[in-house]
Amino acid sequence: MLRTLRRKVLRLLSRMFSDQTAHRMARFLSRKLVDQLRDEATDEFLELLLHGMEIAFALGRSYRRDNLEGLRARYVFATRDGTVGATVQFEDGDMKVFDTASDQFTARVRFKDAAALRRFLFAENQDVLDSLLRDEVELDGNVNYVYKFGFMARDLEERLGVAA
Amino acid sequence: MFEPGNPSVETSDVARDPVLDIVRSPVKVTLQDLSLGDHECSARVQQLRKAYFDACPEVCIERPQLVTELHDELAIFGKPRYTILDKARVYRGVLERREPIVWHHEARDKHGVAFQFEGNSLLAGSTTTRFKGVILYPEFMALALWPELHTLPDRAANPYQLTAGDADTLNRKVFPRWLDRCILEWARAEVERRGEPAEVRPDFSLLQHLVFFLATKPECVSHTIPDFSRAVREGLRAVIDDARRHAGRATSDAQRMFYQAIAEVVEGIITYSHHLGDKAAAMAAEEPDPAKRRELEALAEIHHHVPEHPARSFREGVTTVWLCWIACHLENANVGLSLGRLDQLLHDLYRQDIARGAMTVADAIELTCCLWLKIGDHVPAVPAAGEQLFGGSGSNQAITIGGVDQDGRDAVNDLTYVMLRATELLQLRDPNLNARYMPGVSSRAYLRRLCLANLRTGATPALHNDEAVIAALTARGDALAHARDYGVIGCVEPGSAGRAYGHSGAILLNLTSALELTLFNGRHRHTGLDRLISIATGAPTTFRTFDDVRCAFERQVRWLVGEAIKVNNALGRAHQAFHPTPILSALFEGPMAAGKDVSEGGAVINSSGMAIIGLGDTADSLSAIEKVVYREHALGLPEIVTAIEHDFVGHEALQRRLMAPDKTPKWGNEDPIGDGNALWIVQLLDRVVTPEQNYRGGGYRVGYWTMTNHAGFGRLMPALPSGRRAGQNFTSGFTPVSGMTPYLPATLNSVASIPARYLTNGVALNIKFTPDSPPSDQARLELFTGMVEAYFAGRPGRRDGGEGAIPGGMEIQFNVTRREDFIAAVHHPENYPELLVRVSGYTAYFKDLSPQMQEEIINRTEYGLASGAASHAEPIYLAPRDSADPDHQGVSC
Repeated sequence: MLRTLRRKVLRLLSRMFSDQTAHRMARFLSRKLVDQLRDEATDEFLELLLHGMEIAFALGRSYRRDNLEGLRARYVFATRDGTVGATVQFEDGDMKVFDTASDQFTARVRFKDAAALRRFLFAENQDVLDSLLRDEVELDGNVNYVYKFGFMARDLEERLGVAA
Repeated sequence: MFEPGNPSVETSDVARDPVLDIVRSPVKVTLQDLSLGDHECSARVQQLRKAYFDACPEVCIERPQLVTELHDELAIFGKPRYTILDKARVYRGVLERREPIVWHHEARDKHGVAFQFEGNSLLAGSTTTRFKGVILYPEFMALALWPELHTLPDRAANPYQLTAGDADTLNRKVFPRWLDRCILEWARAEVERRGEPAEVRPDFSLLQHLVFFLATKPECVSHTIPDFSRAVREGLRAVIDDARRHAGRATSDAQRMFYQAIAEVVEGIITYSHHLGDKAAAMAAEEPDPAKRRELEALAEIHHHVPEHPARSFREGVTTVWLCWIACHLENANVGLSLGRLDQLLHDLYRQDIARGAMTVADAIELTCCLWLKIGDHVPAVPAAGEQLFGGSGSNQAITIGGVDQDGRDAVNDLTYVMLRATELLQLRDPNLNARYMPGVSSRAYLRRLCLANLRTGATPALHNDEAVIAALTARGDALAHARDYGVIGCVEPGSAGRAYGHSGAILLNLTSALELTLFNGRHRHTGLDRLISIATGAPTTFRTFDDVRCAFERQVRWLVGEAIKVNNALGRAHQAFHPTPILSALFEGPMAAGKDVSEGGAVINSSGMAIIGLGDTADSLSAIEKVVYREHALGLPEIVTAIEHDFVGHEALQRRLMAPDKTPKWGNEDPIGDGNALWIVQLLDRVVTPEQNYRGGGYRVGYWTMTNHAGFGRLMPALPSGRRAGQNFTSGFTPVSGMTPYLPATLNSVASIPARYLTNGVALNIKFTPDSPPSDQARLELFTGMVEAYFAGRPGRRDGGEGAIPGGMEIQFNVTRREDFIAAVHHPENYPELLVRVSGYTAYFKDLSPQMQEEIINRTEYGLASGAASHAEPIYLAPRDSADPDHQGVSC
């Protein structure tokens, strides 16, 4: 409920800002995510990532335009042991996050731990290979949607000014 | 450059051998100097070649954008199946709308900076809008590049240039349309829909673990050779007329639609050529330089004539092949699509032009160089992780020269030597040149010339023994004339040119995983020993005899092969439903008569191919178990399993013993145990794989070549009983394990004693020579030639159930570069941009290979030519690339 309200408020606010300002605000509101993208990822990483993405979509018109147009998909992210899980629904140009892992999904990413997820989504070059070598990420469903999510995550990283 | 003097036609060879007098046609080889050593690159070719090496590949969005737009416009998206006519209309639309580019004069360097260059190719048109382009196929795997759209130009391994605008188009307009529409997703959805029981249901999750097998159909079929002969000799208009005639006699709507589709796409190819002609004419009208104007006018005339009408000259023949080749790549991904026997196809036109004085040999070399450069005008799109694990490969477009004709006569001709010389002069990764040699029919002068080319280039051409290959193909039921007309596909796979739709690289099977499943009772250390992956075949404690081990291994092989084939066939059915191939079918023998697409089984030969990775490592592991556990009883199998579970840490003495060829048998030393296990595995795979049927009604064929997969799979796999430690490279192709075979003649005998009939999908035997031994160029060439002759010579059958005489070795390929040069190239790749190497089948630029693959090549057994003895160099290990600076890889030895 609060999440929905926050999203709506931020969307309204986004009409008043330039994209640059929106990204600065998103960066401010996602400080913890920025820290974890730069340093070590903790168990909170998935939550922070989805939170950061939600804020960036709500605030950034160009981020929405470049990534959400026509996207209709349900992603499930979960650790292999089931201790962390979330479902993300993209529909009608909006992103909604649920705190539990649904059984229904377009694509599901199961990962060993937060560091593995970060390596998989954001890593450059060698780290992607490392996650494959360690067999620490498992994908189910339509893998094209994982590629799409990978782009959205890296695009976010760039807009937050974290990408190299 | 290696200069041994010019090999010339040896008439004495012919006189000495009465067989040659009968089978050789003396008019085919008229060149006095077979080396063509007086011919160098023309100024035009030099300029184009320099630009080629300076250019960084650039992603081209023309094809994906047009294909997507046309699928929308023609309302194809949303259909439950795409018909061949749907696809034909799309491709015709693309051919008609794409930009006709006559000459490229601009490219981008690795920093993304645009540069201009001179040099006007004798051939117009290109596969992409870029001078060196990356073609994207969203129907296949292009979406794997999605996460990298912003980082492609900066990645460490083989970067691609991509403008921000083009990245935006791909992200917003192209990729989203294909999210649910690529081959892999079609196949998965279809399997879900059918709801088949588990035992027949393909398990796509096995693909994801990477360690079991790779199925390449999500990326392509491609691995085949089109038939250009009709286009060259009769012109494409004749193909359209023929399709219309057949349509009039068609007995079903499906056939009528097929013929209509053929006419559509062929019309598209003709239109594209006309557009090129129109553009050249328009450029000529505005060109102030008379020489350039004449060149443009010539291009305009050529493109208004061919490929619509029969080629009248060598240049028109080459242009026809090139235009058809562009069209083939519009439809089929640029992976292993191969050109076949161009020296045979174009020889009549060449001879006619030379005879009438319309062309000199120098002209022919220049034109061939232009064709070679054009063939290399595109690279495959490979995501970063793929580059690291399996990268460095080009498009593997094989060209085949020499050999015998369909009647068994010597087919080597002047054009064979022209193509060899062009290859030497350019030293390009693509095309991948393969030379055929028929013992007793081909001349020794020809073989010597092939060996000279290898000494000069250090890596090409690969050499194929006709006798062995033809025996292999006929053993699988190919007609003798068709087998004799084989061409090499992709890396080393033989297939009847223009007739065999064989997807020779359909499955890349990691054989060591079958051994892993055997030793861990159906579990795999990569996926966790708590999880049953395959079938339980017993714990190592239950194997009382070596036959028990083999029996369990055979069951695991059957499981692994079965799973791979289920996945391949499901993916093949997705191709049939969503990617019919009218362009390829128009340029193939069989579909016109059958009235059906090649993907539906319209070709004359309809096989599928499996390549085995890790033969040497698996054979040596079985031999180690046989010798240490069951013959000497020195250890129990559980102790060996414990040692490999610990990656030999704490078991170093055992590892040293297992790795010592004088203590533990190894394949490649003429040892009965070592060679016996290799032969047993090859026979087992033949028995398991070849009875299987593919989705087109054809059979499966087995081969032993690995591209770079022996490094990729090696990196994923834990330690083996052979003594190999975790993460180390496997041996390449059909080559015994590096460092285990101290004497080359024994190695060649071991390899050649495996009968060709079990090797129907080709083999790659990689041999590395020290170029300094012996010091004399002439002596080196003679030894080289003699060694190949001996390897290719037939021999009495051995260890094969009483089989009689068998042909000699099937294939051999070389790296002739000093170890120090390789190591220097690791440290300073900028000084070695053109260093060409044979990987396992194809050629690559050494600098483009992953550190692991570079390491594998450096550490390959290196033999002295004079002694045949292996040199003793300590293996080196290379650290992964640093992503910051692609030029300086942060490599340490």
